Amino acid sequence: MITHSVIITSDKVVVDGQTLPHKEQGSAMLTELYRSHVGDYPKFFKMDTLCKVGFLASELLLNAEGDRNFEPREDRAVILFNRSSSLQADTHYQSTIQEADNFYPSPAAFVYTLPNIVTGEIAIRNKFMGETSFMVIEDYDEQTIMQNLANAFQDPVTESVISGWCDCMDEEHFEAKLFLNNKLSNR
Amino acid sequence: MIVCVAHNITSPLGMTSAENYSAVKAGLSKLRQYDGLWGLPEPFVASLIEREAFTDNRHTIVEQMAIHSVSKALENAGIDTTSEKVIFIISTTKGNVFLLDKREQGFPQERVRLGMMARQITEYFGNPNEPIVVSNACISGVCAQIEAMRYLEGGGYDAAVVVGVDVQSAFIVSGFQSLKALSPEQCKPFDANRRGLNLGDAAATVIYIRKDKVAENEWVACRGAIRNDANHISGPSRTGEGSYRALKATLGDIDPATIAFINAHGTATPYNDEMESVAIERAGLSSIPVNSLKGYYGHTMGAAGVLETVISMQAIDDNNILGTRGFDTLGVTHPLDITSCNRTTAKRAFIKLLSGFGGCNAALLMAKGGLQ
Amino acid sequence: MDELIYTLKKQIIEALNLEDMTPEDIDENAALFGEGLGLDSIDALELIVMMEKNYGIKLKDPAQGKEIFKSVAVMADFISKNRTK
Repeated sequence: MITHSVIITSDKVVVDGQTLPHKEQGSAMLTELYRSHVGDYPKFFKMDTLCKVGFLASELLLNAEGDRNFEPREDRAVILFNRSSSLQADTHYQSTIQEADNFYPSPAAFVYTLPNIVTGEIAIRNKFMGETSFMVIEDYDEQTIMQNLANAFQDPVTESVISGWCDCMDEEHFEAKLFLNNKLSNR
Repeated sequence: MIVCVAHNITSPLGMTSAENYSAVKAGLSKLRQYDGLWGLPEPFVASLIEREAFTDNRHTIVEQMAIHSVSKALENAGIDTTSEKVIFIISTTKGNVFLLDKREQGFPQERVRLGMMARQITEYFGNPNEPIVVSNACISGVCAQIEAMRYLEGGGYDAAVVVGVDVQSAFIVSGFQSLKALSPEQCKPFDANRRGLNLGDAAATVIYIRKDKVAENEWVACRGAIRNDANHISGPSRTGEGSYRALKATLGDIDPATIAFINAHGTATPYNDEMESVAIERAGLSSIPVNSLKGYYGHTMGAAGVLETVISMQAIDDNNILGTRGFDTLGVTHPLDITSCNRTTAKRAFIKLLSGFGGCNAALLMAKGGLQ
Repeated sequence: MDELIYTLKKQIIEALNLEDMTPEDIDENAALFGEGLGLDSIDALELIVMMEKNYGIKLKDPAQGKEIFKSVAVMADFISKNRTK
């Protein structure tokens, strides 16, 4: 059963159905959200846009759940989907190697050229040692995401899952729809 | 139970599973140094496939290798891919990423999206379902198999075609060079003198079905688990947290004495191999032989989990535990029984272990004839 | 040297996305790694790229970074002696 939900798009933030007020849009909105709702995690500024969006959505989701203790746990999984994989990070890294006379491959850019890094960032922040997984489908499909979620509970250790959609086309265009799902009430 | 009905490996060592296994058994590798390839300023050692062998100009090299691998696997599988009861699960990390290079012409930009790449494969085989791409860094190949097991257990599908593929490019090689992760020579997994990893091209396929009764010679995907280190996005955990937990969850109450070997990730980077030694010891499995196939193929990324599972199944079919090419002197702090050359075994099960960027780790238990 | 130190601080902040920091926040004699700024191994590799890009210094062995990145002052000293651009 879904216990909490968060939607972040380039110009809209919704937590459990309530619109969250903000002044900025796009990338500036992400920084604004970080400053007003997180504030103590400077690693945020090193992240690519996909990670920033997924990280912020998970922060809002877990704040909505409340009682955050950051103790290691293995019973919570993070399983996300999207369409563009790590395209924004890929394009950024490609720009560091495109010209032969300005060829300086950036290690800090390269480490973000995998979509599952966002699931890792969420796991690191919260000490989630359970399953993390990232899947890519060409079109958003709620049924695939829900089927996958049900399948994820086949792992007997998994009691809850942060699941949903986390897509980023470029630095200004993104869309996250994250849900916190609980196993017990799922049955 | 989830049973493997067919498989294939398409790699520099051969175009069929059998060709690949006999090459590996004989200790062969196509790892060699490339100097100036793709305009890269620094040389690198890799296992690359002859691009000229793939001549279909409607599909990229990545798509062609995947299509070839699936076609070969389907030859004797008795699976109708046009059925909506068959799902394709594709494992890749970078797919057609080379299309981002402005000098690349001939394919539409949208093919850089993994879902579009995957559709080329399902459309080729007339499959009506939307393909799912598992993109979980280096553990993708095991995750895709776990995903297939869950889909089949969950009902709704009769067969799952799992194909892992990655092809090297300037993008990937320069990235690993920037991380100083590449070995200047052929890699040496678990060795005291290991200096990093080599990269490799490959596609590999396994086809799974669900069955109530399993014959003695059929391979069963018994159990798998994915766990995170929750430590660092690129550095392995010093306590082997995720790999240890994945191993523990996968092994369950199985007697470790029934396991012939652990086929480790064994990339030959200093930190990965050390981490695996910690994890294997913590899981109480240090007496089980451990091998790595990276000395034969390099790190084939999204293909690795599938390719290494297929080679390991064939090794057991041949009563063999493969040696770890490149390994000579133990170079990890927790003592492991790394196989330096081939050994015979009568055991019928193995564990495939992987770890990757994003702190993810995965393990898969495969048993011939199922668990006793 | 003071000018180089100031420029270097700005370049480090930019290369490592230390968004919340200003050059004034960085003590040029304090350790860059470890406690200090909370930098990791990827940051060290990124600093190597930054030195190559801005000062034409190519480190043969990344392990050299350990000595050079002790502090901004040590880094500035190394750059002033080895720069090719």
